[in-house]
Amino acid sequence: MRWEDATRWMGTMVLLGVASLSILAVLFIFYFIAKEAIPFFAVRGFREFFTSPEWYPSGHPPRFGTAAILYGSALVTLGAIVVAVPIGLSAAICLSDLLPFAVRQAAKPIVELLAAIPSVAYGFFALVVLAPLLQTRGGLLFRTVVWAIGAPVGAILALMLSQTISLRFPARWQRGAGLVLLAGLGLAAWALLRSLAGRAGQLTVESGTNALNASLILGIMALPTVVSVAEDALQAAGREIREGSYALGATRSETLLRVVLPASLSGLAAAVILGVMRAVGETMVVWMASGNAAQIPRPWYNVLSPVRTLTATIAGDMGEADHVTGSERYAVLFAMALTLLVFSLLCNLVGEWLVRRSHRRWSGG
Amino acid sequence: MRSFSSRHLLDHAFSGLSYLSIGFMVAALLVILGPIAIRGIGAYCFRGTIEFRLFVLERFHRGSAERIGEELQVARRAREPLYEAMRAFEADLENDPALRRKLGGDYRQFQTAVRELLGPLPWDPAPLLMRQQYGQTRWDRALIKQRKALYREEWDYSDPSRMGVQVWRPRRVHYQGTRLEPAFDQLEHRLAEMLRPRWTFYGRFLTDPSFDAHFFGGIWAEVLGTLCLTLGAMLFGVPVGLLSAIYLAEYATEGRLMHLLRIFINTLSGVPSIVFGLFGMAFFIHTLGVTDSKSVLAGSLTLALLILPTLIRASEEAIRAVPAAYREAAFSLGASRWHTVTTVILPAALPGILTGTVISLGRAAGETAPIIFTAAVSLGEPLAWRRLLTMPTPALPWNLYNLSTEHAAVDEIRHVQYGMALTLVALVLALNLAAILLRARVSRKLRG
Repeated sequence: MRWEDATRWMGTMVLLGVASLSILAVLFIFYFIAKEAIPFFAVRGFREFFTSPEWYPSGHPPRFGTAAILYGSALVTLGAIVVAVPIGLSAAICLSDLLPFAVRQAAKPIVELLAAIPSVAYGFFALVVLAPLLQTRGGLLFRTVVWAIGAPVGAILALMLSQTISLRFPARWQRGAGLVLLAGLGLAAWALLRSLAGRAGQLTVESGTNALNASLILGIMALPTVVSVAEDALQAAGREIREGSYALGATRSETLLRVVLPASLSGLAAAVILGVMRAVGETMVVWMASGNAAQIPRPWYNVLSPVRTLTATIAGDMGEADHVTGSERYAVLFAMALTLLVFSLLCNLVGEWLVRRSHRRWSGG
Repeated sequence: MRSFSSRHLLDHAFSGLSYLSIGFMVAALLVILGPIAIRGIGAYCFRGTIEFRLFVLERFHRGSAERIGEELQVARRAREPLYEAMRAFEADLENDPALRRKLGGDYRQFQTAVRELLGPLPWDPAPLLMRQQYGQTRWDRALIKQRKALYREEWDYSDPSRMGVQVWRPRRVHYQGTRLEPAFDQLEHRLAEMLRPRWTFYGRFLTDPSFDAHFFGGIWAEVLGTLCLTLGAMLFGVPVGLLSAIYLAEYATEGRLMHLLRIFINTLSGVPSIVFGLFGMAFFIHTLGVTDSKSVLAGSLTLALLILPTLIRASEEAIRAVPAAYREAAFSLGASRWHTVTTVILPAALPGILTGTVISLGRAAGETAPIIFTAAVSLGEPLAWRRLLTMPTPALPWNLYNLSTEHAAVDEIRHVQYGMALTLVALVLALNLAAILLRARVSRKLRG
């Protein structure tokens, strides 16, 4: 019996050992990245690295200011979020609450296929199809996008506003006032859209590989993450509160907007954060589509100018820096990697915490 | 009653917006995959010219030498009038300095274009580069080269408010009255006879090695490299992932340790892929020294780390989904825990585990960033069996990047890039579709 106990204990320990390989891997990753990065920070300090926009790693003397590159990463990520969050959240709502079961089963593989396409294929599309299109037909494209997004959103806003305001009129006039308001608001929205589209049509794109291109593709790549995490969060809110809301006479949109969304807020926040993480850590798309110019766009919000990101810099510069292993030029890339690593670790921890919070809340624990 | 109906209108509008977002995702999928699919097929199925058949015969010894020889004779006869005119004009250039000054430079451009279109001129010395030994192998590329020969590319700066506009001016007007003039008619109207295009299915694109920096041949080196890297990653990743999952699902008790393990697994899944690449280089190559420089081994190990969290999660989920009754029945028969796991639980969880494995395979095949510093080279021989693990290798994702950004003649080999993109995407999507189907079967089975 003793012998058997001992083997069993040994076996469990072996399994535990294998399972701890993940812990070991994370620790090793941090150690080996930090090993090169910390001496760099020790010699050159944090100030130049984080605040100077001058990136001349091969100059004499070299300058390792990454402010412009950090800004590029931030700008592209922000753009990706602007694309991914509204679409991702409404797709998640659609998947969890609107679509009938059979359609949902058919729609889920679409999300999975979007997640499965290799990033280099996205990058190839951005570089070979989207970039020339932006460069030659940019104005037309922007105008179409303004109309395609603006028309439905404007129509719904006009409808909502006219209904809300017409409720303040005496009951007899409500119908007429509503119609007049709707017509007026619709016209105003149409005029606004027209001028916006006209202005967008005037824009010229000097280089097709720019922050906008990268953001757009990154946004599509981050969509699956946002959708699946957000859908989980919406599902976790449970049937009871939905049924309670319907029982009180709320419509589906009211139930979703006023009851389900607030209830699953922390899970939705986690979806956004994990989406950010996905976008920040992506390499190939930004390397191929962002233009790789280490400069802060002028004016700062100009998404049509090329930018450069942390990941693309690591990927692009290591080829040249590898010959001089141990030099500052090599170490600065590890410093960037450490920055990325710390950022994604923080995002991950916050995201996990939010997900757990939302699950705990609804499982009553 | 009124407010009721307006609320419902809004309700419908809200639903409509949500449906639009699903529509957007479908559209994005189609817009991105469409060009890759359509133009990617062009790498496998295109109108190949006689030059293509000649190349395949000379390099791969495929095709009937007799038939191609005959066809070549016919094509050469069709080209003769063009070459005749060129020979005559070159003699004139030799004798007439004024003509040389006027048209000498432009004629050299024309000559280059004809060389690129039809291969070396009969009186040329044998060229060294392979791309100069053959004419255009594809009819679509030939038409582009034909335009380059017939027209002169000029830039129109007449509108100062805009950037220069590219215009194509006919070249023949400059040559009116010279002995080259008939050459233009020949080129314009008889090109099909000179190149004899024919619909070709080039399935061996997948399994032919490439020649002369991807100007000719297929993508076998890349395909083989990707397969080896992916299978290598599986080899290292699956055992670790499976054992970890067994520990987490069957042996570990909920508590501190489990919580810690989960946090670390999640952290590992959040590490950016490029950081994996740096780590793989710094650890596997520079510290452990598994190989002196980039190699399939180092790349596989790095990819294995990358897919480990996915493998663990999928396997754990699959094991946990096995009904508790299975376990209890096995225990009641006196089976030990390990015996239960290997004979009862794992077979029941196998389809779920396979699903996760197949998805990870797709992920490993498509990842680029981790292999940049650990395994991938842009030009290289297909892997040899004897040095399978220690050689660096070209790989589909890396070479797709490399060919579409850093290749010297990016525009000339678009079809190869699209072909690579299609191959990679098809490989990854096929794996994922397999996983989706597998899962659908599993869930049907579990529902009974």
